[in-house]
Order: sequence, then structure tokens, then C-alpha cells
Amino acid sequence: MKETEHTPIRSLPSGVPGFDIVVGGGLPEYSFNLIAGGPGSGKTILAHQIMFANATVERPALYFTVLGEPTLKMLRYQRQFSYFDPDLAGSAIQFVNLSAEVVERSLGEVLDRIVAETERAKPGIVVVDSFRTISGHGNAIAPLELDQFVQRLALHLTTWETTSFLLGEYAVEEQRNPVFTVADGIFWLSQATDRNSVVRKLQVVKTRGRAPMPGLHTFRITDDGLQVFPRIPEHARLRHEQERRRLSTGVPGMDEMIGGGIVAGDAVMLTGPAGSGKSTVATQFIAEGLRQGETAVIAVFEEYPEDYLARADARDSDVGRMIRDGKLELIYLRPLDLSVDEALAAILEAVDRLGATRIVIDSLSGFEVALAPTFREDFRESLYRLVGTLTATGVTVFMTAEAAEGFGDARFTSEKVSFITDEIIVQRYVEIKGELLRVMAVIKMRGSDHSHEFRLYDITANGVVVGEPLKEYDGIITGVPTVRPTSSRPKRSK
Amino acid sequence: MVHARAAHSASARMISPVRSRDTPSGNSPATREIVRRLISGRPPHTKRGDTPARAAASACDNLYRELSRWVGADGCHALFTRALAETRPDQPALGKIRLHPKSEAYIDGIADSIIAYGDPETATALESVLVRLVELLGRLIGDDMAGKLIDRTFGDSRHGSEDTREEA
Repeated sequence: MKETEHTPIRSLPSGVPGFDIVVGGGLPEYSFNLIAGGPGSGKTILAHQIMFANATVERPALYFTVLGEPTLKMLRYQRQFSYFDPDLAGSAIQFVNLSAEVVERSLGEVLDRIVAETERAKPGIVVVDSFRTISGHGNAIAPLELDQFVQRLALHLTTWETTSFLLGEYAVEEQRNPVFTVADGIFWLSQATDRNSVVRKLQVVKTRGRAPMPGLHTFRITDDGLQVFPRIPEHARLRHEQERRRLSTGVPGMDEMIGGGIVAGDAVMLTGPAGSGKSTVATQFIAEGLRQGETAVIAVFEEYPEDYLARADARDSDVGRMIRDGKLELIYLRPLDLSVDEALAAILEAVDRLGATRIVIDSLSGFEVALAPTFREDFRESLYRLVGTLTATGVTVFMTAEAAEGFGDARFTSEKVSFITDEIIVQRYVEIKGELLRVMAVIKMRGSDHSHEFRLYDITANGVVVGEPLKEYDGIITGVPTVRPTSSRPKRSK
Repeated sequence: MVHARAAHSASARMISPVRSRDTPSGNSPATREIVRRLISGRPPHTKRGDTPARAAASACDNLYRELSRWVGADGCHALFTRALAETRPDQPALGKIRLHPKSEAYIDGIADSIIAYGDPETATALESVLVRLVELLGRLIGDDMAGKLIDRTFGDSRHGSEDTREEA
């Protein structure tokens, strides 16, 4: 039997960061697609980004406007985005208004006009905005007539080798509309409202000849247009294996507690109450990496970056200099409707840019608050994806988390998130002889031996310094230890 | 490098008026040049027996027809209506000019205006309407894009007329 020849379908870049990965490798050339979603969901912006990414004078894009947003207004608003190149308007991107045909004439005449303009311009891309106003105009269109119109339109556009996009405001229950059946690709844009937060989501309902990434992917609209944050970033699929070497924390005494340093590529969580020095330790970890010639990223959720930097500089002037030298990037992520995928994308971009080997997330508590409520409800899953993807790149992730304070509370870490970490270090306040002191202990070191002692530590002008173990005390875990009869007060670090 | 990445960064940006370099607005020479091209570059079949006023009216008809292809007849009529309304106080010759959307002769009342005010006055008045329309378009979508689209319109209409003559 003769072997059949496989004809690959060329993929067009969408021009939308993250979109091509979700679609399964780009937009299939000559496909007939539907971009559906409610008002303000970003349909027109998406279509424009695709046009500007692909249109040329030789193979222009034809943008048919119908009764929806007037062309002049659309152009006025669209040109505010960075992707809009006014030099292409009128030549590589041509606008055609179909309102008269739709209002005054039949579907057949609408089709004739689209076909005539397509024959004239020989476009590579065709957009009809909004198709809903064509297919849903008046009540006079019989279902069969609409079926035939959609079929013929799809046939004509594909025959002319155009990749086409129909835009429409459709509700989920309208998926029996013939355009859904005929379309090769359906991209659904939505806005999920939860309390005061709105999260934009993209779903690839269908792409013929492609394996799209399943699920709902968050996206944001900025001055640059849409940016999609795939649920499964490419980094997560390309796991980076590395040798288990030890990284110094830069905190005197801490490396000894954790068996010689943090295992490279691990996820470490440092948890403690307010003022216990979590950010200080995190900064020392970064500064030590920079001293070793590594590069690093700090994702800040609680403080403004300028404040964070000023505080870090006060302890170690290297940090500010390293930022200026491009060895360290400080990312500030503080919107209250953040998606985990967006945070991940921002961190991964920085990691790729710098080739970073150390990441600090300061703090998980701030991250949780910054997330839109819908993601806070699934914080475990969100964090699992965040940490899993980051460690897959081979970087070492150092996270801080605020622990609930209370001397009677014997929980060391948030039980919600401890399962995702390889190493857990806890900080606590203890009262000894009427004085509030700080102690530190290692709770978990996956696959490695570690100290089981509580050790006193101080926060000095140069950062955290770990001191002696509290061997003479019992009940440290309660926060109010009792001294053993023959013991004396342990020596504190200087 | 410090990267502040916040959702509100996009919305915090002031949307500036659409205005770019090479601005032909404000009755500038660039705007006058666009209008001059519109009048002189009309399809040949519309030029026969033209007086300056009829040439300007023909340019308006042509611009209305071609511009309607991409902004729609209603959008184009809205532009002309405002341009006419704003120019009329300074140009008495426009008193007899009427706009007829979706008809072959969009500009009506030329003959009456020529009789009442003379051909040069009517021509100047209609040119002022075109100048105001180009300015208005520039304010809405940017002078650079307005100029390009009008030039494109002018080019299309020339090609269209050549096609027509070939078919004839």
C-alpha cells in the first residue's frame, strides 16, 4: 500500500504573547475562525493584533466592519495600542464598511460584496466585525438561509486562501448557531467577575488540525494589547535536570543547620511571624548568589520595590549595584486581580532574561492577597503550578511566608502549602526570662540530613546571624520554654 | 532593573489626543495640499467641462463615495455634516449647499450657489469644507493616518475609474 503524503498546515503567528502556545502552535493558515465573547472581552483587539502581525502590502488584511463599533471610533481607539502601525492602515490593512449591505440588502448581497472585495484585494487575512450583526440582523433570516450563507462564506474565503476571523457577541447557549459548526477554530474570550475582581479568560473551544492546550487561560489587556498566560508554560514541559550541589544561604550558621546549604533547584520555604527577619534572610540568600557570580530575581508582593531596595541596600550595598549592573531583577507584582499564570509569566520572563539561578518570592502571603479571589480559592493548586514550573527550569526558589503568631500555636507552616516545598525553615519568637528572643529550626529537608535543634538568631546590621542551640530548654515549641534545673542561660551570637 | 508590573499601569496612562508628527491640521499647507490633490486628482471622466466650483463639488462627491467604503455612508455623512456646519458661518456661498446621503450627487445646490455667489466663491467655500473635513478626520484618527487613507481613497478611485473606462 502506498504511503500517504502528510501535508503540513502552515501556522500563522498571532502576534499575541502566549496565544500561539495555547492554540497548539499558531493559527492554521486558511482556517475559518470565530472569536466569540461578550462586550469588552477583547475580540476586536485580538483581531487587530493578528492582522498587524501578518498583513503585508502584497497579502493585505481586509477588515469588514458592520453595524457595531463605527470604523472611525475603532481606529481612534485601536491606534492607542503599541501594535497599531498607522503606516499599514489603508495599504496592508484595509477597512471596508458593510453596514449598507447588511441593513438594506439581502445576505446574498452581503456575501457578494465580501467576495468582490476579497477578489479585489487578495487578502491573507479577513476579519468580519461583528458577524453577529450580520447573522442576527432582524428576524427575517431563515435558519436554512443562514446555514447556507455561513457555508458559502467559509468556502469562498478558504478558496481565496485567506485565514478568516468572524467576531461576535455570543452566549454559551448559542453554540448551535451554524457558524460554530462550520468554524475551524473557536476562541472564546470571557470576563469572570468575583466580588470586586474581574479576570479575563481565553478558552480554545476548537481548533481543527491542532492540539490546543485545554482549560481556561487568563489574559490581560495592556497598552500592548492582549497577553495570554498559558496554564502550562513551556518551561514546565521542558524539565531541567541538574546535579544536587549545595548553595550557600549567605546566613552565618544557617548552612550548617541545613546540611551544608540549600540543594540547587529546590523550593525552600522560610516561615515566621512579622518582624522575624524573613525578608532579611531572603536578601542574604540573593546577595550570596550574586557574590558567587550568579544572577537572581526577586518577586515582591508586599512592599513597593523602592522601599524593598532601600532596605536591602542598607544591609548589603551589593544588591542595589547588582540591579544597576543587570545581575538582579526586582519584580513588583501587586495588582489585586493577579492570576497565578500572570505572576509566573512575569517571573519566568525575568529568569530567561537574566539566566537567573536564584529566585525569591517575598512573600507567599502577599502573593495570596494579590491574587484575584478566584485563584485564592485554589491557592494550593496555584502555588503548586507556580513552584513546579519554576523549579522545572532548574532555578532555586526561596519563598517566605508569614506564620500565624501565637505562642500556643504549635503549627510550623501553613499546611496548605508545605507539601510543595523541599525544605522548610521556621522562625519563632520565644520568651526567656522575660525577654523576647528569636529562634530558628529546620523542619524539612527532602533527601538530606539536617539540624533538629532550635537555634537562637539575631538580626544585626549585616543581616541575620545564627547563634547557639537552645539545648538547655524544654517547651520551646510552645513559645514559653522552661529551663532545665542545672542549665544556665545559653550564649547568644554576637 | 526594577519591573513594576501592576494591572493599573495600563489604565493609569493618559490617552493622549491622536496627533502625530507632520501634522497637517489647522488649515496647514499640508491639509491644503491634500485637498488640492483631491480636486486635481479626480477621475478623468468627472473632469469634463468643470468649472472650479464644479470640480470642488465633484471632489466632495468622490471623497464621500470612496470614504464611505471604509467608514460607512453614515460615518462619512456625519463628517461632512459637521465640516459643512463649521465652515458655513465663514462661507456664505455654502448657504445653498445641501448634502444628499447615498445619492449619486452627494453635494446639491451647486448651480444655485454659483448663480448667487459666483463660481470662484463657491469653489473656495467647498474647498474650505474639504479642508475642515480633513482636519476633523485627523483629529479623530491621527493626521498621518487620515492623510494616508485619503490618499488611498484617491488612488482607489483613480484605479476604479480606469477600470470603468477599460470596461466601457
